Amino acid sequence: MERSFETEIELLRLGAGETFRGEGILAITKALLQSGVSYVGGYQGAPVSHLLDVLVSARDLMGEMGIHVESCANEASAAAMLAASINYPVRGAVTWKSIVGTNVASDALSNLASTGVTGGALIVIGEDFGEGASVIQERTYAYAMKSAMLLVDPRPNLGAMVDMVEHAFALSEASHMPAMMQLRIRACHVQGEFTARDNVKPAHGTNAKFREPADFFYPRLAHPPVIYAQEVNKVSERIPAARAYIREHGLNDRIAGGKPSRLGLVIQGGLYNTVMRQLGEMGLSDENGTPDIDILCLNVTYPLVPEELIAFARDKDRVLVVEEGNPAYMEQQMLRMTVDAGLATRIDGKNYLPEAGEYTGEVLAAGLGRYFLENGGNILDLDAIRRRMERMEKVRAAAGALLEAPLPPRQPTFCTGCPERPVFGAIKLAERTVGKVHVSADIGCHAFGTFAPFNQGNSILGYGLSLASMAAVTPMQERRSLAIMGDGGFWHNGMQTGVASNLYNKGDGVLIIMNNGYTSATGQQVIPSSKHSEIFGTGAKIATTLEAMGVKWLRTVRTYSVETMVATLKEAFTTTQKGLKVIIADGECMLARQRRERSEKAQALKEGRRVEQAKFGVDAEVCTGDHSCIRLSGCPSLGVADNPDPLRKDPIAEVKQDCVACGLCGEMAHAAVLCPSFYRAARIHNAGWFERTLHRIRTRVIGAMAGAA
Amino acid sequence: MATTRLLIAALGGEGGGVLTNWLVAAAAAQGLKAQATSVPGVAQRTGATTYYLEIADEADSATHPVFALMPVAGDVDVVVASELLEAVRMAERGFVVPDRTFLVSSTHRVLTMHERIARGDGARDADSLMQTAERASRDRFLTDFAAIARKSGAALNSVLLGAIAGRKLTPIPAEALRDAIEAGGIAVARNLTGFDAGFTAASCLERSPDAPGETPAASKTPVSTALEERVRALPGEAREIARIGVARLVDYQGPAYAALYLDRLAPFADEGPLCREVARHLAVRMSFEDIIRVAQLKTRASRLESVRREIGISEDEPFELVDFFKPGIPELADMLPPRLGRALNSWAERKGIRETAHFGMKVKTNTILGFGRIWLLAKLKPWRPRSLRFAEEQAAIDAWLKLVAEARAVSPEFALQTADLARLVKGYGDTYRRGQETYARVVEDMVRPVIARKDTVEDPAAQLKGAIAGILAAPA
Repeated sequence: MERSFETEIELLRLGAGETFRGEGILAITKALLQSGVSYVGGYQGAPVSHLLDVLVSARDLMGEMGIHVESCANEASAAAMLAASINYPVRGAVTWKSIVGTNVASDALSNLASTGVTGGALIVIGEDFGEGASVIQERTYAYAMKSAMLLVDPRPNLGAMVDMVEHAFALSEASHMPAMMQLRIRACHVQGEFTARDNVKPAHGTNAKFREPADFFYPRLAHPPVIYAQEVNKVSERIPAARAYIREHGLNDRIAGGKPSRLGLVIQGGLYNTVMRQLGEMGLSDENGTPDIDILCLNVTYPLVPEELIAFARDKDRVLVVEEGNPAYMEQQMLRMTVDAGLATRIDGKNYLPEAGEYTGEVLAAGLGRYFLENGGNILDLDAIRRRMERMEKVRAAAGALLEAPLPPRQPTFCTGCPERPVFGAIKLAERTVGKVHVSADIGCHAFGTFAPFNQGNSILGYGLSLASMAAVTPMQERRSLAIMGDGGFWHNGMQTGVASNLYNKGDGVLIIMNNGYTSATGQQVIPSSKHSEIFGTGAKIATTLEAMGVKWLRTVRTYSVETMVATLKEAFTTTQKGLKVIIADGECMLARQRRERSEKAQALKEGRRVEQAKFGVDAEVCTGDHSCIRLSGCPSLGVADNPDPLRKDPIAEVKQDCVACGLCGEMAHAAVLCPSFYRAARIHNAGWFERTLHRIRTRVIGAMAGAA
Repeated sequence: MATTRLLIAALGGEGGGVLTNWLVAAAAAQGLKAQATSVPGVAQRTGATTYYLEIADEADSATHPVFALMPVAGDVDVVVASELLEAVRMAERGFVVPDRTFLVSSTHRVLTMHERIARGDGARDADSLMQTAERASRDRFLTDFAAIARKSGAALNSVLLGAIAGRKLTPIPAEALRDAIEAGGIAVARNLTGFDAGFTAASCLERSPDAPGETPAASKTPVSTALEERVRALPGEAREIARIGVARLVDYQGPAYAALYLDRLAPFADEGPLCREVARHLAVRMSFEDIIRVAQLKTRASRLESVRREIGISEDEPFELVDFFKPGIPELADMLPPRLGRALNSWAERKGIRETAHFGMKVKTNTILGFGRIWLLAKLKPWRPRSLRFAEEQAAIDAWLKLVAEARAVSPEFALQTADLARLVKGYGDTYRRGQETYARVVEDMVRPVIARKDTVEDPAAQLKGAIAGILAAPA
């Protein structure tokens, strides 16, 4: 993992009455322990990686509590893990990033939701939606509806989130429905505080094992004929039970407005703060969240509770549903409910607010403002609303007119020293002789290869799916196609979906597997083939796995050996040998390597041992300012500087101080026959007397020669 | 303002998260209510990323304020940016507004990938970014925080925290912010140094004066009085550049070669600006980078000095130095007499190995043998005028000069742009050859037709200027 979690683990041990101060996702982790979970698992992905990372690091605490922790191979295995709660009265929680993770998990989820659960089952969903999102923008809500799972969307403050975790388990048990709790990115990263409760040791767990397995009980299988009964049971028993619990425990917040307005807002819990801020700015609420108009804040967004909604809507002329994303599932359900109840209340929603996209403050200000101006009558202070909207418009116009041309984007990119970056340079070079090839990209750090300066990739279809997604492309191309996959993606899905399927179908094409040892993009979690892990891992080898599967053409190339990589790529693209050609691109994630080496180096320096500290440099006079090195390497450490030569204007390349001397500059200069301006210089700490003497002689001789040049 | 709304714009890996945590921890220690959040995600990998905080003052902290999780255009009190373009990006998104926002930003630039991959200067104009940042904000503290950080040996985020404290931009007292670093317990001494440097800068400076740039040292090679006299005869605008050119060519090949430079310049002496630009490009073209030149540059005492500076060591400390060379057949042919060189090239062409056969060398230049090898190459200087490359370059230079002279008949501006075409030919190996092809294409398509009056272009100079800029901006 990218960081250590000692302080976080301390927070997990807090007892009743103590104040927890920290990040949202960590508060959720603490809430799981307070809820008496017996097992936890999941698959990493922003913004919930942290949850699993911390639990994995807290194995001492987990051991004391008797909680089983599993780092799952993918979301499908995480979802399947919840099966423990079908037969046994144990609470379990798993986590992943949605919508992508939910998609991967959906087979297991459907079956789980069909049989229903005995012990509370909770999925903590990192809702990767809106600004900073890295996946397709779809709603998790559809899964809740189609499979009859609970969807909890708590107000984004730590106290509310923690309470809702505990309720979610109880709600799951009361209704036998698995629960999902969706947390938006900002809620996961929010820094706040809440008053802790004691952790609860589960009644059953690794310290208190079941003597016997559960009795054979056919209705708990997702298998015909009981599936038909389960389908009916969802609507006849489970959803009503859930609604009863939600009502009885007041999980949704009805906030009474201070003014006798006949308008109301129904909002998702996760949007509460953003909505309240805009009401405040329009003069419709004070800073502590006391609004002028009635609000129904839904911390559970599925199932909706008709009694609650009808009671809320009954005495109103209009109700606006503030529901982020498309389609407007809640709004549609509300429309139906009001019709069934025979209410004349008008339901608004996407007619005032955008159909798609994140509901930011600006978006809500515009939509709510228009709504209140058109429908607020003489009860609300329309002037204040109008002033707010005018100012927002003014700010927007001024910002739009500020610049003549839009600023260049600053996308994430491969780190300094990243071993994956050289591969994309090598592909660029190989294409100079082979010609352009179709590139099937994948999820992972290597997806940065789609950005400048590489701009490689024709499709991204999902995690580990690059090879599978070119199955029908390769047979229709003159040149072989190239799939790029990470080792994380290989173990997650790519081995079966890609490699097995390709071999089975006698496919052709080239597959590069980036073997860096971790799922790096999500913060360096270990995978089956990780070499450096004290906790998980089996030492599985990708090469032997591929051989066993029947891959005949297999090469392992160190990623920094650009020339070898170029030659291997060329061979793979042009060989007459049919069948899948796999290149394992070997190079450990530089962040992980650096962290290891940094401590080793510091130790060596402390002990007075000889240490080399290298970096690359550019001879300013030799560089002509063409920047082809940057276009081929794309290293963040490779910048440009003003040309010191008064005769030249174009800036020259420079190697910044954060260079880690990965060696790519030199390799690239060779492989691409770039230019001789790069050099590698190493400072020697604690050199011995022999080296020092030799250096003195060298300096004298070289100095004399240089002087004579 | 009862609650301060503060937005931090940073680049992934710069410690924006740590800066945020210091602020949150300091607020908590003071009993002030605060909330922070972020969308780091994959932006951690050097992409742009933001952190948003709301910090209540004492009075508000006694109540239960509802904090927002995202900044809203026009509603942000303080924006802290770790880099100039990101400060302007915040203004572009409406987070920096002239009636509300205090902007703290470092004025240094970290160029984006798109700016760096241009073949020429692709950077956004820093002055105009600066003006935009000033125009967009109510009040501001703009200085090169990165330089302050470098000077104090601290990380940028601690310097920025010091600046926030120094300008009293939050309800949190400066001492409490300083204490938060100590309570954080990581690299405390270094971060406190950074904090103090930022605090001092904030307390005593409105805007730091621009650091004086190092004036490029002209070559120390003495120029003979005869050559100096001829330089003095040139128009004023061209003299400085020509003097540098003469010095460079004396060093490159000798006084006779420098005299040739002045001979070639003479026809343009009647027009200052053109003479200056021709002088600039001609000196660069005449000192083309062949193996001998690279060897000469790599074996200078001043070069070894700059390598030492780069890794921060003094002369008596041992170090290792590796240079990378990969001459191929064209580079070898370049050094042979023209007839032999051409024969080698065409033989290699027939064999299909002209572009593929190379001799990769990693030379340890800190050793006597390694240095000696390159040093010997530099000693080939007297041989150069007999080489194929020399012959070809001279022919190309004469052709270019002739073209510039002809272009004068069209307009002085057109001649200037024709002279500027020399910028297209640079680099080594493949890059150099591709540059030559581009140059030839532009000459045939855009220069010759205009000179021959075949093309009636409205403003040929502007068109040519645009074409050059376009080629240099496009990543190849």
